[in-house]
Amino acid sequence: MVNPICQARLAEERKQWRKDHPFGFWAKPTKNTDNTLNLNKWDVGIPGKPNTSWENGVYPLTMTFPEDYPQKPPKLQFPPKFFHPNIYPSGTVCLSILDEDKDWKPSITIKQILLGIQDLLDDPNLDSPAQQDAYVMLKRDKPGYVRKVRQQAKEYTPKDQ
Amino acid sequence: MSAMDYDDDYMDDDDVDEYDSDTGMDVDDDGEDDYGAGDGFAPVVADRDVKKPYEVDFKVHSTDEIVAFQTKEVAHVAGILGCLPEHAATLLRTFKWNKERLIERYMEDPEGESEKAGVVMDAQKQAKFAIVKGFECPICCNDDADMETLALHCEHRFCRDCYAHYLNEKVAEQGESRRIQCMSAGCKVVVDEITVEKVVAPEILAKYRSLLLRTYVDDSVHLKWCPAPDCVYAIECHIASNQLLEVVPTVRCKCGHQFCFGCGLPDHQPCICVLVRFWLKKCADDSETANWISANTKECMKCMSTIEKNGGCNHMTCKKCKHEFCWVCLGPWSDHGTAWYNCNRFDEKASIDARDTQAKSRQALERYLHYYNRYANHEQSAKLSSELLEKTAIKMEALQSTSTLSWIEVQFLRKACDVLLESRMTLKWTYSFAYFLSRDNMTALFEDNQRDLEMAVENLNELLERPIPGVDVASTAATTITPQQQPSHHHVNNGAGTPTSMSKEPSATSLPPLTPSHSTPSVLVEDSIRDLRQQVLDKMGYVKTRREVLLSDTTQGLREHRWGMNVDMKTGILFD
Repeated sequence: MVNPICQARLAEERKQWRKDHPFGFWAKPTKNTDNTLNLNKWDVGIPGKPNTSWENGVYPLTMTFPEDYPQKPPKLQFPPKFFHPNIYPSGTVCLSILDEDKDWKPSITIKQILLGIQDLLDDPNLDSPAQQDAYVMLKRDKPGYVRKVRQQAKEYTPKDQ
Repeated sequence: MSAMDYDDDYMDDDDVDEYDSDTGMDVDDDGEDDYGAGDGFAPVVADRDVKKPYEVDFKVHSTDEIVAFQTKEVAHVAGILGCLPEHAATLLRTFKWNKERLIERYMEDPEGESEKAGVVMDAQKQAKFAIVKGFECPICCNDDADMETLALHCEHRFCRDCYAHYLNEKVAEQGESRRIQCMSAGCKVVVDEITVEKVVAPEILAKYRSLLLRTYVDDSVHLKWCPAPDCVYAIECHIASNQLLEVVPTVRCKCGHQFCFGCGLPDHQPCICVLVRFWLKKCADDSETANWISANTKECMKCMSTIEKNGGCNHMTCKKCKHEFCWVCLGPWSDHGTAWYNCNRFDEKASIDARDTQAKSRQALERYLHYYNRYANHEQSAKLSSELLEKTAIKMEALQSTSTLSWIEVQFLRKACDVLLESRMTLKWTYSFAYFLSRDNMTALFEDNQRDLEMAVENLNELLERPIPGVDVASTAATTITPQQQPSHHHVNNGAGTPTSMSKEPSATSLPPLTPSHSTPSVLVEDSIRDLRQQVLDKMGYVKTRREVLLSDTTQGLREHRWGMNVDMKTGILFD
């Protein structure tokens, strides 16, 4: 069941991430019940870009790698009901580089994915809405949308700040 | 190429038309003719090349022909551009097989066009397996020293195993062929045929090739796969999309399936594609449910609950808000006193408006139902025709065993069934077409044609359903199962009046016995069959003529923009 290519690649990704990763981000494999690392499921935090309505928030998500990763893309999930036009009500992210039929390539790294999500936060793609609330609000009531985003950023601001 | 086979069908049709004029023909000759036409041996009919206004030119191609054509085009372009056939093929695919445009653009900017198509002409830059010292594959993170690696001209290098996985995934799982890109993020270089060949297993390569072949048909606007299940043919038809407003490009595949080249749906002459789309949408969505609600229900003036009156007097009490009102004028009941029938509130503006909208909805609903009922009725009748075909098959058996008619001579019945079915389909679509026509003189003409065809169809149908005098279908159906040893036996007995399975026809049995060597009832029965045959052929010819007249006139009308439409051709919304 365990695919050696998948595990090798994930181990390497982990190594690279520990060596160097963008400021404010964090990403670490989850732990199994027996306290061993589960490389197929990572907990991740993505900071909102400074000078946007997303700033100060660090948004948590889980990243799940299928056994045929890197041939197939990982699945990224925010908490359910996360407020963003391209995030499904379940929290799943709709992004072309995460779609194997669209722009996913086996060589895309975890770093590239997470930076892509950070970009997506303040630069939503209105051509492929995934939830109604945020999409409709952004279209019809921009100030209200910004307010909602700022409020969400506050909710996700780390306690120690 | 394969157009010849199709021509047979044309001949077929035209030959039947001839029955009209050739009524004097004797049974045998006629039958021969019929047979000959079906088999492609008929003499060339002078007018068979005359195209009817509603017909379009098309060709049916087999897979082999498509491969051959593709190879020819590729070789031609490869010759002109002086490149490998694989590269020419990739370029052609990018240009959707528009050879002229490709050559023109390529001559202007060879590098730019090749790059856009993801091709590198330089044979030096062809992807080759190589062992690179100190290389670590960015995908699997493997750094074995003897690992084979591969890079397209974009120089993004990966190991052989990762390439194989990737291509398997793309080809076998995703059905991708011509747009497989380099594995590097964001790189648009296309993995060319030669590289795929080097990397993948033979069965994946075969799938890759067949997918490429499909893209040829899918990419070309003039080619379409026959949508019939398991059909392997593709149809070539040169019809521009703007012509679809004037003609229904019905094509017939070698497998027998007739469909519209414009939209892929089964033949829907004479109703043009866009109207078919509106019509089917209208039939599928619940816009008419809404119409029904507004035509058959009223709203409580107070709480706006929808109320259907299904009996009782006009003194309504809303179940929800207990508001009492008059069903007729929708005014409060308190104004009516005890005598609602003296309802004196008719002139009140609010109730007039309410009744106006209701009348409008009711009218719209009735109009739609008028057309829909007739449309659905023909569809239903066409479905029942499979039953008719079965019954006709039994009849044909019966005819053969009762008379001296041969198998080939009774085929006229089956043919008549086919004509009937075809015309029912045409009629069905005339109703959806008529639904979108505005009320004017032209529409009246259309409806005349429609009525004539409908009458002819019903007449033919009735004739086909009618039992054939002298031919007992039920017993023949039984005798067809028993071995054929009986005929001589019962023919002899027949003269003596013994009731045999074949001769229950009263007029036949009441005849004085003829010479025993000659079968007794056959003469009369055969007369009546010949008579029936003539009738069927006449009626069938007439149906065909009416259908042709209707289709020709409708198409002509579309070309001349003679039909007034009551629908917005862009949105499908009906005008008032």
